[in-house]
Amino acid sequence: MRKTLTVATVAAMALTLAACDSESSGGGTDGELVGEGSGADCSIDAPVPVGAALSLTGGAGSYGESQRNGLELAVAHLNDADTGVSYELRVEDDQTDPRQGITVFEGFVDGGESVIIGPTLSNTAFQAQPIAQEGGVPVLAISNTADGITEQGDFIFRDSLTEGQVIPQTVAAATEKYGLENVVVMYSNDDAFTESGYQVFADSLEEEGVQVADTLTFSVDETDFRPLLTEAAGQDPDALVVSGLIEAAIPLVTQAREAGIDVPIIGGNGFNNPQLMADAGDAAEGVVVGAAWNSASDSPENTEFLAAFEDEYGHQPDQFAAQAYAAMTIIDTAVRHSCSGERTDVQDGLNNISEVPTVLGSVSINADRDVEHEAVVQIVEDGEFAVLD
Amino acid sequence: MLGDSTLVFIAIGAIFAFSFYAVLVAGQLSLGQAGFAAIAAFGSVTLGPSPDQVGDLPALGIAIVIGMLLGAAASVVLGLPTMRLRGVFLAIATLAFAEAVRILIVNSESLGGAGGLAVPKVVTPAIAWVALAVVAYWFWRQGPSRYGRALAAIREDELAARAMGIDVGRHRLQAFITSGAVAGLYGVLWAYFVRLIAPEDFDFAAAIDGLVTAVVGGSTLFIGPVLGSGFLTMVPEVQRAVGIEAGWLRPVLSGVLLLVVILFLPGGLASFIPRRLRMPASTESETHGTLTTRTHPRPGDQVVRLHGVTKEYAGVHALRGVDLEISGGEIIGLIGPNGAGKTTLVNLISGLVPSSSGEVEVLGTRPGRTPVHRVAAAGVSRTFQHSKLFGRLSALENVLVGAHLVSRPTFGRRLLWLPSARRDERQALAHAARCLQRVGLGEKARVPAAALSYGDQRRLEIARALAADPSLLILDEPAAGMNQPEADSLSDLIGSLADDGLTILLIEHNVGMVMRTCSRILVLDFGELIATGSPAEIVDNPAVIEAYLGSAPDEERSR
Repeated sequence: MRKTLTVATVAAMALTLAACDSESSGGGTDGELVGEGSGADCSIDAPVPVGAALSLTGGAGSYGESQRNGLELAVAHLNDADTGVSYELRVEDDQTDPRQGITVFEGFVDGGESVIIGPTLSNTAFQAQPIAQEGGVPVLAISNTADGITEQGDFIFRDSLTEGQVIPQTVAAATEKYGLENVVVMYSNDDAFTESGYQVFADSLEEEGVQVADTLTFSVDETDFRPLLTEAAGQDPDALVVSGLIEAAIPLVTQAREAGIDVPIIGGNGFNNPQLMADAGDAAEGVVVGAAWNSASDSPENTEFLAAFEDEYGHQPDQFAAQAYAAMTIIDTAVRHSCSGERTDVQDGLNNISEVPTVLGSVSINADRDVEHEAVVQIVEDGEFAVLD
Repeated sequence: MLGDSTLVFIAIGAIFAFSFYAVLVAGQLSLGQAGFAAIAAFGSVTLGPSPDQVGDLPALGIAIVIGMLLGAAASVVLGLPTMRLRGVFLAIATLAFAEAVRILIVNSESLGGAGGLAVPKVVTPAIAWVALAVVAYWFWRQGPSRYGRALAAIREDELAARAMGIDVGRHRLQAFITSGAVAGLYGVLWAYFVRLIAPEDFDFAAAIDGLVTAVVGGSTLFIGPVLGSGFLTMVPEVQRAVGIEAGWLRPVLSGVLLLVVILFLPGGLASFIPRRLRMPASTESETHGTLTTRTHPRPGDQVVRLHGVTKEYAGVHALRGVDLEISGGEIIGLIGPNGAGKTTLVNLISGLVPSSSGEVEVLGTRPGRTPVHRVAAAGVSRTFQHSKLFGRLSALENVLVGAHLVSRPTFGRRLLWLPSARRDERQALAHAARCLQRVGLGEKARVPAAALSYGDQRRLEIARALAADPSLLILDEPAAGMNQPEADSLSDLIGSLADDGLTILLIEHNVGMVMRTCSRILVLDFGELIATGSPAEIVDNPAVIEAYLGSAPDEERSR
């Protein structure tokens, strides 16, 4: 019995301590979310509840953290601007676990959130987003790049370009720039994101008429690429084409340069991370990366975002943060469209996003509920991403 | 707070934990269940009909049948070569299998590779909980059946279980197959709930999840996995509900809670629930038929025959050229200094070790070639020099395991609530109680074997050996640690057993007791039989006096 009490006491204490920063759950009652006016003049009394299911811990934890920063910065900006509509952001962690993803989505649907952002990973998206679709809650995916995300239903939108939208441009630009004829492709085949990236690379290379001398696979956890690189070097390629996550990109690029491979390395979305230059240093020079977000863009939105993010978090944002930040711009526009935070009104608003200026550039949402905006092909020069031209 | 998905995840998490429970009760640590679940999930989705064609429930039903069969089949394929492995070796081998399955699926384009397969959602909380109820029912009925007790005995002490006539290999494989089928059920339910199955859902972390759930819940009571799953599923829910900020703090708190449970509740959450021990009703002990039905060899019939038996351990001759015959009804005393080869001799006779050369024949079997449980089935039962009781089982349960060979299997009939199962269980209980009473432990039936005093443990070993209704009873130093009155009453007991027609082989250092009890005495020295004869002849034998009695009998006795 004594043990029972000990356990119960410890558990209760842990929960009570942590409950101090408890906040009321979002969700306005009927009618509160319908405002007056329209567009820029729209004014809604209650804050519009926005739920975000992100992978803050677990395998995809680094992406989720970046997304949370982007979202929190965007919500702070929108609320500080005091333009009649405010937002209450509730970020939940799916722990990179489908069970948590599903449960969190269910919580948002039952909890009255007007719109749900996330989840971080495409696989979790297929497991969790249908719950919002069935519950009639609009979802704005901010990092899902897999095919078929928005085909799940008319409540599912995204502001993340698919690999199919970015990679063909990257391959075309690199082929033209370097006159590629013969390449070696490397990818991690046990990750949904990098595998689908590889498919697009393979198709694009074929379309451009580039020969693939060899295709090498590795595992997402791998950090030693020397044997694979030796094999690749034996093919004497014009470039290495790699679909891998940032965790693989850094050692791979470093080891390739150490092994004397100085041909261009063309990476997928996983390479699109300032960490690459920070950790790989000089080895990252000459890496070509297609991106949905042009970090070097000098649009007013982007310039302001870069400065504010650096100011708040002490480092440069990555594309995940930028897409998260843009999501709030898009949602704000959608809410103002009917001047209502009701779920179907937000859905309607998202269907009418057209040429909205965001940190990603001028963004539209097409009839398939996929985002359309310009992608950018970048090259690492002097430790920074520059536009490849 | 309890959403649909939470309810479903508690139920299917518990089912997955049951697939670990199924082998943990038999003392096996397997991590292959994630692989079985993956095979079942991908297999049933690929092979089964789609819900659009046949309707939701029929499609799920067919998928469950396919999945459980695939899981069971996979466990047979994995189990046959790995069942000899123990402890961490089995864990590594099964983990390797699960990883191989995962990598196979990752590289299989028809199964969607890393991107996974889309599956229609069919499972509702009601379906998940009905499935859990069926699985829990299965393990509830299994526990106090003959099969369940045999698994518990294997977990507690495999060698002793074997000596009690339990076919350890078959029981372990059965437990493994049950685990495979239950893991298969989990795989199918998971697939038809989460809408997308990806190989990463069945990775190492998933296997560890299942194991932790089973251990936290408790692996000795059937309700354990349910408690474990409820606890582990609710921890993140409660954290969310009380508003702990999402991020690193939550996993840390979960980890601390887990640590607290493991530290303070080594038996898992189920240790909050008092264990109910079934006791025989005192009035019915005589109303049921007896389980002692064996016809013992008549006086003069051969029970044991050893011819030219030699046993070497890495060049050391434990036994050399031993010839020996024991016939029905004899009480044979086996004495000799430490290291003379006495225990080796009884291990040979009971079949635990094979001889290096020579012939061994016991009750028509060839120990060493015949598996131990068959030798036991022929009527050989023994105690061990260093007590090998099933420590966490009660005294009564220990004896019930001893009765394995003479009682009838009850698990199948218990599942169906057939009255005959209850009758057989009562009969076994009454039989076990009689054996306990015979050694004077009737009052201590409920006490776990590990909590008994040393002398009581020796007596319990005898009761357990007696429960098998043996023709040849081998007692390896039963009086060690007993005082003189206790040794005297043991001596009386042995006499009364011989009156029942049992043949007894007694190894003992207490020479006085051997002289008083035995009809014939064998003396071993340095692996050789140096004398055999009646107590009077042995006392006068100069070789014996030289080797044993003359040297240090007092010193031996005082040990």
